[in-house]
Amino acid sequence: MKYGLCAAAAFLLAVSWPARAHHSFAAEYDSTKTVTVKGTIQKLEWVNPHAYFWVDAKDENGKITTWAFESLSPNALARQGWNRNSLKKGEEVTVEGYLAKDGKPLADGSIHANSKSVTRADGRRVFVGSSADDVATK
Amino acid sequence: MTKRELGPLALAVAVAGIVALLPVESAAQTDRDAAKSGKFGPVGPAAQKGKSKAAPSGPTPRMPDGKPDFQGVWTPGNSFMQMGQPSLQPWAEELYKQRRANLSKDDPEGHCLPSGVPRISPFPQKIIQTPTLMVILDEGNIHSYRQIHLDRDHPKDLDPLWWGDSIGKWDGDTLVVDTVGFNDKTWLNGQGMPHSEELHVIERISRPDLGHLNFDITLNDPKAFTKPHNYKRVHTLMENTDLLEYVCNEFNIDAEHLVGK
Repeated sequence: MKYGLCAAAAFLLAVSWPARAHHSFAAEYDSTKTVTVKGTIQKLEWVNPHAYFWVDAKDENGKITTWAFESLSPNALARQGWNRNSLKKGEEVTVEGYLAKDGKPLADGSIHANSKSVTRADGRRVFVGSSADDVATK
Repeated sequence: MTKRELGPLALAVAVAGIVALLPVESAAQTDRDAAKSGKFGPVGPAAQKGKSKAAPSGPTPRMPDGKPDFQGVWTPGNSFMQMGQPSLQPWAEELYKQRRANLSKDDPEGHCLPSGVPRISPFPQKIIQTPTLMVILDEGNIHSYRQIHLDRDHPKDLDPLWWGDSIGKWDGDTLVVDTVGFNDKTWLNGQGMPHSEELHVIERISRPDLGHLNFDITLNDPKAFTKPHNYKRVHTLMENTDLLEYVCNEFNIDAEHLVGK
């Protein structure tokens, strides 16, 4: 599994400033626990209040770990030109994001995180943006 | 975690500690600076698309009766989160501190409840206007609406309401909207600014030109504030677009993961 945890210098995120999501970013995600996950898209759920996508990441022994990433809301994504087909099942992606604070998996057992950016195999980035960004710029 | 990674963490914690002590308004100031420098784009809320373009210019549109026409799809840009710092009564100050310390985990918006008045979400709003009624349609935080009655006074003995009861009267080209009858469940901003059921909101709304809608807002709440509080918001017109769907409660798994600290 290719992901690493590091203490990002995203220290400003520690300040509670509810972002453009409908909830406080800092109350749900840990801005000091950034992750980079390389894997394949399992599915994209075009749902409110945040779209979610699931990524299967395989480690060197072939063991697969599934991550669930929160994205922006469908209306916000739509205004940036994305839609429900912007990420295809099986597509290889690299996702940067932040771990959920409570460390609890979602009901389906996947690891819960917030996505900051999604980079495709060809280097193009889709779903760029996290509600954390609004905090990070302050 | 390696030792090399601990260095930045220590720095981050130290700086975060310092930053957390800074007053709210300084954060709002840097927010405005960031907005001016364009750091927000292209990432961010629905509002960004409207904000990134210059507001369209032109004269104030008018209704057939000569009153200003406020109709259109509007984005608050970054002004949705700026309300300044009211002077709070001790109990309200204490509650505000608690909510901030909890990183706003109990914000009603996070639980798909209404923003209330005059708080708004970052998402666009659409205004529909008739001579007797103005309706503000909210794309978010929940798909909802606010009615501003232009042909009546407040009903007597209102039960506590999430949106209160709004009436509007024209003062020249400014619509003066008076809202009372609130519950005390909503927060005035995302940091948890409290209010009581005695909240009385006066919004002076004007459209100085085609592209801007100005809100001059005064909050009176003798139970929660020590004096009235005034602030302004400027909304810009979003052309060639419409409200999109937003159904907050569809998959709001956030609610169970909002742990705060």
